[in-house]
Amino acid sequence: MDKTGTEKEDRAMITVENLIKDFPGDVRAVDDISFRVEKGEIFGFLGPNGAGKTTTIRAIVTLLKPTSGKILVDGFDVTKNPQAIRERVGYAAQFIGVDDDLTAHENLILQARLHNISTREAKKKANELLEIMDLQDVAKRRAGTFSGGMRRRLDLAQALVHEPHLLFLDEPTTGLDPQNRRALWGHLRKLNESGLTIFLTTQYMEEANTLCERLAIIDQGRIQIEGSPAELKATLGGEAITVTLPETAQQDVFERTRSILDGMSGAAETKSYNHSVAVFLEHGSSRLAEVVRALDSADVPVARLELAQPTLDDVFLRHTGERLRVEETKRPSMRRPHGRSKQR
Amino acid sequence: MIRSLREAGVLWRRNMLKLTRVPMLLFFSLFQPLLFLLLFSQVFSRLSEMPGFGYENYLQFLVPTIVGLTTLNSAFQSGMGMVNDIDDGLLDKFLIAPIRRSSILLGKVLADATRMALQALLILGFAYIMGARVETGILGVGLLILIAVLFGIAWAGISNVVALRTGNAELTMLIGILITFPVLFLSTGFMPQALLPDWLGTAAQFNPITYLIDALRALVNEGWNWTAIWQALAVTMGLASLTLTAATRAFRKVIS
Repeated sequence: MDKTGTEKEDRAMITVENLIKDFPGDVRAVDDISFRVEKGEIFGFLGPNGAGKTTTIRAIVTLLKPTSGKILVDGFDVTKNPQAIRERVGYAAQFIGVDDDLTAHENLILQARLHNISTREAKKKANELLEIMDLQDVAKRRAGTFSGGMRRRLDLAQALVHEPHLLFLDEPTTGLDPQNRRALWGHLRKLNESGLTIFLTTQYMEEANTLCERLAIIDQGRIQIEGSPAELKATLGGEAITVTLPETAQQDVFERTRSILDGMSGAAETKSYNHSVAVFLEHGSSRLAEVVRALDSADVPVARLELAQPTLDDVFLRHTGERLRVEETKRPSMRRPHGRSKQR
Repeated sequence: MIRSLREAGVLWRRNMLKLTRVPMLLFFSLFQPLLFLLLFSQVFSRLSEMPGFGYENYLQFLVPTIVGLTTLNSAFQSGMGMVNDIDDGLLDKFLIAPIRRSSILLGKVLADATRMALQALLILGFAYIMGARVETGILGVGLLILIAVLFGIAWAGISNVVALRTGNAELTMLIGILITFPVLFLSTGFMPQALLPDWLGTAAQFNPITYLIDALRALVNEGWNWTAIWQALAVTMGLASLTLTAATRAFRKVIS
């Protein structure tokens, strides 16, 4: 084995090659995905519900058998050596797994004991984590009485109790209010600074943007594009100019707007959605006047004109043709729907 | 082996903690049997005067049936617990831990067994207050509970198959009631074999519950009837090998 090859392997925490997962009924949840996660980084999957994020995570943490493909975690193969992987990874699922009838402290002891930690060591570790997660005051309260944010933090503590090398978080802040979300981000950053590799999925572009060093945009079971948030945004080539037409505008006006924007020098492809046409324009911020003049001389009625730095949402739009519209205020149920729905 | 027991012990302890936190879990399976014990022992009390009945009074005759009914109910509680653990994401937590899959099932069986034993003991306590006595004494009570619990584990296999296949706690409970009642009334649970209509007497002979109740009834009323005891244990083992295999298969399917 040559040295560069060894070094490359050493840096990889997760290697996924050509992962495919089919569910009964001809549903292909994950469609030939390959990626690497390096040791010590925060890597994210950004994508809407049903994109295949959860299925991929569940395959990596040994909860789902891949239909085909290869997954290595810290050098161990998921199908050949699942126990070694279970010892090394922590997993906080989208649907929180805490026992409502047990106290926060008891839940942590249970998880620690399940990871072969002695009772005495488990108690010490539980107290330590309760303090880190700001739960020390409610340690003796039943988890059933906890708020959404507290349950998330308890679940995160559970995933950390055996000091994993790698932490998986499936939509860690779904259902949290902005304040709790930011607090959780703070916890995750600190954990990462202390050396923990983190793999998270999210449908919030803000979360991907602030937390992830690298991310993959995933839709319909495929990775659309992969890179750092800055790299991904740079691929759009300039600032985003969005022209919104009045609701009464006819189709021909729409087409005319599109062709005008398309025809400008340095314009990357235009996208239209609802009553808006968006274009990425090189040096867009200094060329607003040019855009207005062109639209005006073609008699295009403009309801609104926006200039923005490209966002991950724009990247998503470019690669999927859709917006990553997620109502961030909506609170999804924290419990699983009835039965064991196969999350994908 | 030791490792499996240790791992199962951790999960057993969690279930016992739940039992102390939510005493309802202990009493859940007791209401209906208690109601039957109170009502039937009064309503059918004159039955003991019938020729061919062969027991001191209907209460003495009924107590083993009620112990059996309690474990059957408790067995379906097992399936509901399984669905709840799946819905609450707890099964995933157990599966992601570096423990054996078999330890998860063993922990559940041990916890179910403990709960069933406590429930059977409570029912016997009530029966004692009502005046029922166990012929074979303390040792008999021990064996009676052991047989009932073993049968309950076998029966819990059915409830877990239903639970794992439907993934619905309410449906599991409903199917439990729908199965339990016919099989209980098609046994010698409420009437001695001699007094059952011919067709029912024949049906009862093919009903595993009959063998359970006959053994329990012997321990309560006759003494150490080893034939009845061995028959009950053999029927239980046969039933368990079927139901627990099916349950394990359903479990594997859900976690794969």
